[in-house]
Amino acid sequence: MTVGPLPLDGTTGPADRGTAVTISQFSKRFGATQALDGVSFEVKPGTIHALVGGNGSGKSTLIKILAGVHQADAGSLGVRGSEQDATAMTPALSRDLGFRFVHQQPSVFPDLTVAENLAIGSSFLTGFGSRVRWKAQRARAVELLERFEVNASPDAELRTLSPANQTGVAIARALQDGEEDSSSILVLDEPTASLPGPDVDVLLEALQHYAAAGQTIIYVSHRLEEIRAIADKVTVLRDGKLITTTDGGLTQGRLVELITGRSLEQLSHRKVETRAFSNKVLEVEGLSGGAANNVSFSVSAGEVLGIAGLMGSGRSSILRSLFGVPAPNAGTVRVDDKPVHIRSAGDAMAAGIAYVPEDRNGMASFSDMTVLENLTIADSRRYFKRGRLQSRSERADAKKLVSDFTVKTAGLDHPLTSLSGGNAQKVIMARWLRREPRVILLDEPSQGVDFGARADIWKLIARAVAEGAGAVVVSSDFEELATFSDRVLIVRHGAIVGELTGSDVTEHNIDRLVLMGSEND
Amino acid sequence: MPWLRWVEAYGLLLVTVGIIIFFSFYGPTSQTFPTMANFQIVLAGQSVLAVVALGTLIPLTADVWDLSIGAIAGLAAVFGAAFMSSGMSAPLAILAAIGVAGIVGVVNALISTKGGVHPVITTMGTSTIVAGVVTQKTGGLAIVSNLPAWLVELGHHTTFGIPALAVIATVVALFAYYLLNHTPFGRYLYAIGSNPNAAPLVGIRTGKLISIAFILGACFAGVAGIMQVAYAGGASTNIGTNLALTGMAASFLSAAAIKPGKYNVPGAVVALIFLAALNSGLNLAGVPPFVNEYVNGAALIVGIGFASNIGRLRERSGS
Repeated sequence: MTVGPLPLDGTTGPADRGTAVTISQFSKRFGATQALDGVSFEVKPGTIHALVGGNGSGKSTLIKILAGVHQADAGSLGVRGSEQDATAMTPALSRDLGFRFVHQQPSVFPDLTVAENLAIGSSFLTGFGSRVRWKAQRARAVELLERFEVNASPDAELRTLSPANQTGVAIARALQDGEEDSSSILVLDEPTASLPGPDVDVLLEALQHYAAAGQTIIYVSHRLEEIRAIADKVTVLRDGKLITTTDGGLTQGRLVELITGRSLEQLSHRKVETRAFSNKVLEVEGLSGGAANNVSFSVSAGEVLGIAGLMGSGRSSILRSLFGVPAPNAGTVRVDDKPVHIRSAGDAMAAGIAYVPEDRNGMASFSDMTVLENLTIADSRRYFKRGRLQSRSERADAKKLVSDFTVKTAGLDHPLTSLSGGNAQKVIMARWLRREPRVILLDEPSQGVDFGARADIWKLIARAVAEGAGAVVVSSDFEELATFSDRVLIVRHGAIVGELTGSDVTEHNIDRLVLMGSEND
Repeated sequence: MPWLRWVEAYGLLLVTVGIIIFFSFYGPTSQTFPTMANFQIVLAGQSVLAVVALGTLIPLTADVWDLSIGAIAGLAAVFGAAFMSSGMSAPLAILAAIGVAGIVGVVNALISTKGGVHPVITTMGTSTIVAGVVTQKTGGLAIVSNLPAWLVELGHHTTFGIPALAVIATVVALFAYYLLNHTPFGRYLYAIGSNPNAAPLVGIRTGKLISIAFILGACFAGVAGIMQVAYAGGASTNIGTNLALTGMAASFLSAAAIKPGKYNVPGAVVALIFLAALNSGLNLAGVPPFVNEYVNGAALIVGIGFASNIGRLRERSGS
């Protein structure tokens, strides 16, 4: 008795079954960025093929070309002997070729039942007058759940399932029509990013069963221990170029070297001098809120404290709780030695805390308001004198901020949307730093901004701490963190699990502690 | 293209001027439309509507749709008239009527900010209840007896040809303009309208400000209700329904004039004049009354159309 989409033939190994997917000479350029540069590799059927690389390595672009979301500038795609022009990919063609995608946050419908979620992926079984034949639908769901080893009732609402089972349903939904046909290629894009530890193991085990039963899987992940555990082959991309395609089972250290392009010695090289600090500006004890659980740390005047962790580790929750959005569940916070009770953003601001959130467009930008209004929105009240907003002094201040923070804009009265990402981010930074905060919380401050603006943003942080503030910076760019932080905390499962100080603050050490999940490898 | 931005800002004003010129020279209306009498009637009647429109405009800047402003105006009219006809002193009766209106604003605020019910649903519900209260209070009969003579006189009083009601509406408009453009309160309302998720992160207390906007809007409706009593010489029971949608239409259309893509007081004034000129001209031209309903309904749809394309408009005007 076998489980899985295809019966094992038992006689031939994966290597003997030809090639499932051939990617040849994929190239794609976005503006000045060469996102992909002549990338070629092959994926064997019935294997788990990992695709790894850092931010901007081109792996997302490659996945999007396979999905037909982007079209390559050059290249061709071979699937089961048929040759396709990669410059003419469409979502429909991708589907016809057998590609099935499950993304980071699987697009499942939490309030619908498992059976309904599965039905939405294909077509509803209908009877007379388009009536949905729920009985037949349910029977098919039972069969699918069994085939994909998802332990759930078809009538359960999806949100009652464990995260691993929800992902399982998403996978079952993606692959359900491949029943008689082993030709589908499952592409998983960071499927474990939002899964808790034990769920990850359940999912990985299921994937190995699918592969053993003949399913071809392309697996994208940042988590190197997963790659090591399940990948038969690993393709490494860096800066849009293919670095290597190699067998799985590499040491994590070697993988880190391949991904970053630097030897471990280089990665271990300390980039900023070690400085000594005395005055603590922020002391946090036993802080809990969101994913953060019982976190304690302190920051000194003039210090940049980096926080590294994977998505969902609680790194953002720490900053949000400190800013009172939402208010923390527990913990004491002291700013400049004075205890502060933070219940709202207003309390945090009054205590001298500033917060630049991760999602600029969603949480910081007033995009249809003017550059001027965006600069002064956090302290409009200071311009309200003699019964009205003193627009002249507000304008003069805004003008000074624009030049001080090197914002490139066509004018103060233009909407914020007319600015590039980097310049919009500078406006948000100016909004907060002009208040001369004691503590600056920054979540991914350089995300989605170009290289030049990125350097400017770090300069602004350095300037603020030089004036006596303390900065807490969350970033997924570990090279950046290692370069600019005086000290780095490693966060996992909502708790601080490591601290790097002095000459230990290196990209390698951060990578090692965050990705590998252990001190030794 | 600068001319395109100019058209966006002043197009509606230009069309309004065009309508006025047209009806002034068009045969069937050239004798009746461009007269002082018509001007005064239209202006006085439009003044009540203007205050209702401004009442909806204040919460609308925070992207909160208050559909109950018209109904609240009707409520205030009926209560104000009833207080006065039962012998309460006029100033006290007026304050009490505005107070009753304000209470409905408080109820709207509590239900939508504390109760988490969407403002559109909340105000649809309260306006229906308010209409019920009006019927219960009046038994379906208009209140016309025993009103202070000076109030009824005020409804038709003119100074240098300008109706007194229009002067009141102008004062209310200036007050709204001041609030929205010259105080942090106005700035914060626009910020909430622009990005309700980001507003709390710059220290704006969104729930509190939206509540104040609801209550202010309701008080504006109270003033409008009293103005209506003066204008009509009494309170009929169907005031609210007549005012509600046209008032909404004008405040939505405000985003299509003067400051494109932004609900604004001068824009609302232009929209009101536009609607008044068009309706008056059509009436005088002898078109049947149902055509006005077509016009007002279409204006509401066009206004909301502009409102829902606000982002795109704003982006274009900036680039």
